Amino acid sequence: MKNTYNIIYSLLSIFLFAGIFSSCKHEEGEYHSVNDKIEAESKNYQGISISSEAHIGDIKTIEITEGEHTFLIPERKSKIKSYACTECHTKPLDKMQSKDIKKAHWNINLNHANENIMNCTTCHDGKHMDNLISITGKSIDFNTSYNLCNQCHTKQFEDWKGGAHGKRIGGWAPPRASMTCVNCHNPHKPHFESRWPARYNTQKLIERE
Amino acid sequence: MSNNEKKWFSLNLNSKHKVENAGSCGCGKTSGGCGGSSSHTPQNMHQISDADFDAAVEAEIENTQKKDGFEQVFEVKMDRRSAFKKLAASLAIGAGAVSTSCSVIAGDESKEKSQIDWEEQFKGNYKLMSDEEKSATVDRLVRSYQLRTGKTLSMSSKNVEKDVLFGYAFNISKCQGYMDCVSACVEENNQDRNSQMEYIRIHEMKDGKGFNFNEADDNYYHEVPAEGHFYMGTQCFHCDNPPCVDVCPVKATWREDDGLVVIDYDWCVGCRYCMAACPYDGRRFNWSKPEVPEAEVNKNQHYLGNRMRKKGVMEKCTFCVQRSRAGKNPACVEACPTGARIFGNLLDPNSTIRWVLENKKVFRLKEDLGTEPKFWYFMD
Repeated sequence: MKNTYNIIYSLLSIFLFAGIFSSCKHEEGEYHSVNDKIEAESKNYQGISISSEAHIGDIKTIEITEGEHTFLIPERKSKIKSYACTECHTKPLDKMQSKDIKKAHWNINLNHANENIMNCTTCHDGKHMDNLISITGKSIDFNTSYNLCNQCHTKQFEDWKGGAHGKRIGGWAPPRASMTCVNCHNPHKPHFESRWPARYNTQKLIERE
Repeated sequence: MSNNEKKWFSLNLNSKHKVENAGSCGCGKTSGGCGGSSSHTPQNMHQISDADFDAAVEAEIENTQKKDGFEQVFEVKMDRRSAFKKLAASLAIGAGAVSTSCSVIAGDESKEKSQIDWEEQFKGNYKLMSDEEKSATVDRLVRSYQLRTGKTLSMSSKNVEKDVLFGYAFNISKCQGYMDCVSACVEENNQDRNSQMEYIRIHEMKDGKGFNFNEADDNYYHEVPAEGHFYMGTQCFHCDNPPCVDVCPVKATWREDDGLVVIDYDWCVGCRYCMAACPYDGRRFNWSKPEVPEAEVNKNQHYLGNRMRKKGVMEKCTFCVQRSRAGKNPACVEACPTGARIFGNLLDPNSTIRWVLENKKVFRLKEDLGTEPKFWYFMD
């Protein structure tokens, strides 16, 4: 009689333990949170067959590598209407500035930082007009003008490299192509204008009244 | 009814097989109306004899015992009574189709139209369809649109890609309330222009009040950004544990393996349980017949996405399945002028969305509900 009780006890405890351990166990493919799922399922990420390359369109791009990020940005020089600058700027800037010569670039109003910080030559190289110039006098190509912006806007630059600032071109899949600073911000007037929203729900307005 | 593998009823109008027990048009000709050289007389085709009907009922029972879409969904065994009912209902609905398709004067086109209508009426749940069935229904819908309007459209039934889980991030410090996303969404997804139903809502919130949806204004119309306000958008969050899917009584909505929560508009009965179950107000209902001017119809469609809906069914944001499965960004992401919207593959460790999740301070709405939305908010 005692033996049978023992057997029953041991059987019960086995079931109990089994129950305890199995109840917290998730089935395969089930996770506590979506973050666990992402972590687990991306471990064996093999790449995908979808490509966004076709959606980039006929934008000319160049590949850049910044830190651990390599991606495409639109080529800039061919988009600047009067590039190369040296077609007009045959002499260095200080030699061209005289009273009798016709004024140029009258339409550009610098509305970026204040006069103490910036003027035209903070970014434009007065001696070699086809290039930009860093604060320390290093030459910067127009195609990689983000190097000019990131001298001050370091936080935005970090976010842009990672993909939290700015916009992707085409699609989400590799290869990554991202807009560069000047594709959204006018460097002479970088802020976004306030304007009317693109649409407005007239139905809701009637309902509310 | 000769093909038992089909999950819908078929009239076999264009089939060459000789149908023995069909209670419908069974002349077996490939084109032209019944009659002519056929041994049947067209007048007899409108009337089904009792014997034929009994035979059809028997065939029906046999058919459904071999698991069709209905049974797979509802798991009910078909008895003689319900088979009879079903057949009677089918005949009532299909009566128009049968009579037009069997009349001598009806052209090939109207016959094809009714054949399509018939097969569409009795197709299965998209979720349960095989790839061939999916492309068949898509082909039918494309052909039907062509017959009705004379215009072609491209509709995809592209399936889930392995190693893809879609996720979305929204930068609340970047959004300025320009509503370009909403505009692009309406156009891309063929949304009804009259009711102005929109998948995306942009909420204008007062600075210093936090996320206060009670005081938020989502129908503002003034220059934006307004002083002392910030903007945030909501839409379907494509929860990984979606409550809307659990409550659907007919399983017309489900989560695909790439994370998209989708609806089969042809399976939806319009009970709006899902609308009530969604804690984020992400679902929309077609109260009126959705109308899109013919010139504005986006012809790049997906069965689960922006194809034309009908009155009385649910719809919602699908992360533009017709675009995202092709590698494009959803229309809202593409339209956003401020770059506040980021979309990508959560399973790709090098994707931009993963960088945002790992490097920015992200949060989700009502995280404590355990719905696991795949839509994160963050700030600069």
